Amino acid sequence: MKCPNCGHPMNHHADKLLLYDDPNLDAASPLLESYSCPHCGANDARLVQPD
Amino acid sequence: MTTSDSPDLSAEALPLYIPVILGTVRQGRMSQRAAQLLTAELARRPHVETELIDIARLPLPTNDAGEAIKDPEFSARISRSDALVIVSPEYNHGYSGMLKHVLDSCLKEYIHKAVGVAGVSAGVFGGARGIQDLLPVLRELGLVTIFWDVNFANVNQLFSPDGTLSDERMLPRIDQFLKELIWMAKTLRHGRQHITLQ
Repeated sequence: MKCPNCGHPMNHHADKLLLYDDPNLDAASPLLESYSCPHCGANDARLVQPD
Repeated sequence: MTTSDSPDLSAEALPLYIPVILGTVRQGRMSQRAAQLLTAELARRPHVETELIDIARLPLPTNDAGEAIKDPEFSARISRSDALVIVSPEYNHGYSGMLKHVLDSCLKEYIHKAVGVAGVSAGVFGGARGIQDLLPVLRELGLVTIFWDVNFANVNQLFSPDGTLSDERMLPRIDQFLKELIWMAKTLRHGRQHITLQ
């Protein structure tokens, strides 16, 4: 992921599992990938579906 | 091109940003004095920026909850932060419901950030029971708790009417708490920026 602030490549430092609390959803719960920029310090995240 | 005269703009050269969250909206709250003291003590530290975030001033509705009611300004402050100090009064052996309401409005903003908790109570335990209840919540949010707390016990006698601390024996404890928090904030900033999940 590129930093939305400065465009530098960001460091992927964490994955957090987000559990759906809706019993009608049968899709796999997504992961929240966390990133931080070593150049300007900005933080960002994106949701991904686990394999 | 970088020269020796150029300012260091790398992320590690930026000051740590450690806001203090005043975790109650109750009228007449004594926790405000504790939060002001901690903010002042943090502000004296080199290479640290701080401010007091009063949850009573956040425009969060109470007819919904969670990230659906995220306040953009609060979110931006938490996202920018390297660590948090949470001032948590103990009400009926628990933490404030409004504090939980505010904390639940963010998630990605907290991950791999340090947090220290200062408990406040009118009794002798200094909010310790509320702190114990709050710790698993902070962990689930992705925050990293430190092993020092501050306990403002008997808070009605701890501050003079003008808000100044009347028992200076609290200061060494606050000093240890902040030293541990700053160490953890620096360590986690380095980890977030340079150590990749494998």
